[in-house]
Amino acid sequence: MRFTVNSSQAVVWLLALFPGVMAFGFLSAPDFDNPSAVLNTLGRLTGIWGMALLLIAAALCCRVPGFDRPFGGLTKLWKLHHRLGAVAFLLLLSHPLLLAFSAAGTSLSAAVGTLFSARPAVIWGWVALLALMIFMAPSFRFFGEPEYQRWKHLHRLAGITVVLGLVHTLLLSRTLPGVWGPAVWGLWAALAIGAIGYRWGFSRWHGRLPYRVVAIDRPARNVVELALEPQAQVLCYEPGQFVYLTPYDTQLPVGRGEEHPYTVSSAPDETGLRIAIKNLGDASRALQTVRLDSEVRIEGPYGCFFPSPDAPPEPELWIAGGIGITPFLSRLRHCARRGQVLRIHLIYCVQDETRVLFEEELAQLMAQLPESRVTLHFFYREGPLRGEFIEHACPDAARRSAYLCGPLPLIERASTALQALGVPQKRIVTEEFVLL
Amino acid sequence: MKKTVFAAFIAFWSSVGTLLALFALTPTVTLAEGETEYSLEDVAGHDSLEDCWMAIRGKVYNFTDYIPKHPAPPMVIEPWCGREATEGMTTKGYGRDHSPAAWESMGAYQVGILSSKP
Repeated sequence: MRFTVNSSQAVVWLLALFPGVMAFGFLSAPDFDNPSAVLNTLGRLTGIWGMALLLIAAALCCRVPGFDRPFGGLTKLWKLHHRLGAVAFLLLLSHPLLLAFSAAGTSLSAAVGTLFSARPAVIWGWVALLALMIFMAPSFRFFGEPEYQRWKHLHRLAGITVVLGLVHTLLLSRTLPGVWGPAVWGLWAALAIGAIGYRWGFSRWHGRLPYRVVAIDRPARNVVELALEPQAQVLCYEPGQFVYLTPYDTQLPVGRGEEHPYTVSSAPDETGLRIAIKNLGDASRALQTVRLDSEVRIEGPYGCFFPSPDAPPEPELWIAGGIGITPFLSRLRHCARRGQVLRIHLIYCVQDETRVLFEEELAQLMAQLPESRVTLHFFYREGPLRGEFIEHACPDAARRSAYLCGPLPLIERASTALQALGVPQKRIVTEEFVLL
Repeated sequence: MKKTVFAAFIAFWSSVGTLLALFALTPTVTLAEGETEYSLEDVAGHDSLEDCWMAIRGKVYNFTDYIPKHPAPPMVIEPWCGREATEGMTTKGYGRDHSPAAWESMGAYQVGILSSKP
């Protein structure tokens, strides 16, 4: 699994770096003749690499179900997309500056003339760069934590930036010689524009499956579990995967028609779909009041929290925080329905006794698994999760594979503690609740 | 990563601002009066790579010493020696203009201005 993740990431970086490496191969001695020429060469190369990285980052945003698996799940794929975007941004910021500094070897007015020329290529370049800054600002928290929907709308500017950047590149037609320019940029642009087209067009109209809310359970005051019934095609998924849910209940105060990611809590062979949602933001708060019989649309599934959920039982350590119990619940329900054996130790971290979700069902499911047990961790009593607690609850933790799901601080703490106990990082699988 | 990107963002605008400020504060150099006038006929007498003059936008240049430094091979420049070559400057490659830096660097090779007389 880890090998697949590493090689998938390597392929993406190779694709992103290829046009720049190719351009490097076409350079000749005069390109390094003097400091001014070197700066000019670097300016051109940073432009090529920045554009290529931006195109590949755009291609990764397609969110085709299953495409995220070789990358270790959608969250990991988004992280790669984020890293590519960040490096592209740094390169594209240095691109015009290096060209201007190169011209400064001639004169100051030539440097300013390089930056602010009336040539169409330069104007399109500036428009692309400014659009890039506007959509990158919330992604990198330039002005504080962004509101999820506003960030999502702004991030769509990224698609326009890619097109503007391509116009700038094609007007210059100087990046790669001969047919290589149109061939390489054409192919890379097709990948990016195809992915954006899929996201904005196809997935919106054909990728979302219609479901209806047929039951609403309330395992806690601020949590609902919606039972959904398919209206057409049935979603196929594995335990631990998540979906994007879009509600269409006309009486929802906010969030109608907005998609948000939620983990599926049901077993894959149930007729319907169950999704447990905690009141964590405006949209999930509104969903606590969603009405029976209203329509929702489901897109997915994504993620691969349990790489092989039906494999022979190996000793596993599960650490869940709050609503992070949902992927584990899905797997427990799945195994119970199939009569499969699990050898797990679940450490369930919550604030206090009243916050334990699905307590009765968890007890029933675990009672069917003689080699498994649950330990509850109460924050008010124990404080943050510590290595000593894990070791005391599960003395053979170091020999187990660990699966962590919950808020980011818990995952980071648990991951550090497990590594200190001797669990190698490659045996720690995590699923964070982050901006997706 | 967030801090690095934000630092780069600030550094970018600082650099652009510095360049603009320096440009605004630097006094403009006035060209010397009484430049030598050359006719197109004079220019036509220097039409080889060994002695290459060109008239571009009303000014006359001697590019003989520059030809070895030009990125494109000399054969690309040769047809423009001894002629009015503004078109050559604005249509390199696929009909694109030379860069502002290229225009700027020509000043060093100017020998005079083009006579308005035929």
